[in-house]
Amino acid sequence: MKPLYYAMLKYMTTVDEASVADAINALKGEYGSFKMCRPAPMQEALMTAEKNGLLEESRFDLDENNQLRVFYRVTDYGRQMIRDYIKD
Amino acid sequence: MNSNAIAAKQKSDSAFMKRGVIFAVMSGVTYGLYTAFLTLGQASGIWGADWYGANEAGLSVFAITFILASLGSAINDTISGIWCLIVTGIKGELGDFFRVLKTKPGWVMIICALIGGPIASTCYVAALQLGGSVIVPVAALNSALGAIIGHFVFKQELNGRMILGILVCLFAAAVIGGTSFANLGPAALMGCGLALVCALGWGIEGAVAGFGTTLIDYQIGITIRQCTSGLANLIILLPILCLIDGNIGLELNLLGGAITDSSIIFFIISGFFAMPAYSFWYKGNSMCGAALGMVCNGMYAFWGPFWCMIVLGLVAGIDGWMLTPIQWIMAVVMVIGIALVGNLNPLNLFKKKEA
Repeated sequence: MKPLYYAMLKYMTTVDEASVADAINALKGEYGSFKMCRPAPMQEALMTAEKNGLLEESRFDLDENNQLRVFYRVTDYGRQMIRDYIKD
Repeated sequence: MNSNAIAAKQKSDSAFMKRGVIFAVMSGVTYGLYTAFLTLGQASGIWGADWYGANEAGLSVFAITFILASLGSAINDTISGIWCLIVTGIKGELGDFFRVLKTKPGWVMIICALIGGPIASTCYVAALQLGGSVIVPVAALNSALGAIIGHFVFKQELNGRMILGILVCLFAAAVIGGTSFANLGPAALMGCGLALVCALGWGIEGAVAGFGTTLIDYQIGITIRQCTSGLANLIILLPILCLIDGNIGLELNLLGGAITDSSIIFFIISGFFAMPAYSFWYKGNSMCGAALGMVCNGMYAFWGPFWCMIVLGLVAGIDGWMLTPIQWIMAVVMVIGIALVGNLNPLNLFKKKEA
């Protein structure tokens, strides 16, 4: 089992784009009991990864509940960093 | 594009930026608090009455200058490591803490902790002893070095306005630290050299561990940092210093005296505040970039003397801790420097929210 943030970043390398809800959905099987596997901390983790160039925003919209939904995709730099630093 | 979506996105980005700045600023505030309680601990009980006072223990000048300072850091960081483990447990992240330790980013965090903890901190203490206050602005160069490392290694933004802001903060830190260039001799120059090593150490730690917080949650990052620093101080640095002093048994004697003394309560408090001081530093750097994160944190140059005035001066009633008007003015100058680095308008804080 990987640490939660590692799993989240690895997941981002397997999809074209994902929102925080997509990431949580993908990880909840293994990490559902983790207190940090919740929308607020996970959204902050995605935004931090974006701020540091590992991810970039692909698009954003409002969901059916009128809540902001931002989609992210991994950058070439991020893909390389994640491959070099996080083992499969 | 839906205008509501654009407005919500702008609000979300702005909230993230503000949260990053708050983390970075609070790292400086809590750094000041930890410094104040550590200073109080090292002025109380056996520390003030015996070791730094009457010296009934018969400590050498070397022991008083270097070993006691390292002992204080070792006790503070070890207690802080225990606090971190408790909080990490409460947040349900102990499992991830042990999992991260076995990975490459975990090892990078350990190396950062060794560079910024035992190595840089010891250089700082030794530099202060050799050079006095002249080394304060040299050590404060860590913000500038962190920003440069962030720019070249992690491709973070660094422009003319940001460099000007860093220089303004550096000037203010020098004035607050009471820098005097009156007695610049060979010892002071050697002190400046050591302070530069220290600045480089903290610059590397801030930029690299800050970036590391992108991969590792900041609570796990700080737990690695404090446990590593505390243990390295206790197991590696202190025995080496005691060996140089020619008294290898000294560490256990001093450690026994310190942890059974009433002053330990102040180390328990300082260790508690050291946790957010460093974790918010990492977190702020990862959210704002090393340049802005490190100048916000760099306000510890003001918050240290400020909390010493409150804790040591006003609460403990010890003379000589009042801030001068020029120090207050320089705190404002620092805020201007931070605003320049972050392209922030501090006056926005006082503006009413738009309807």
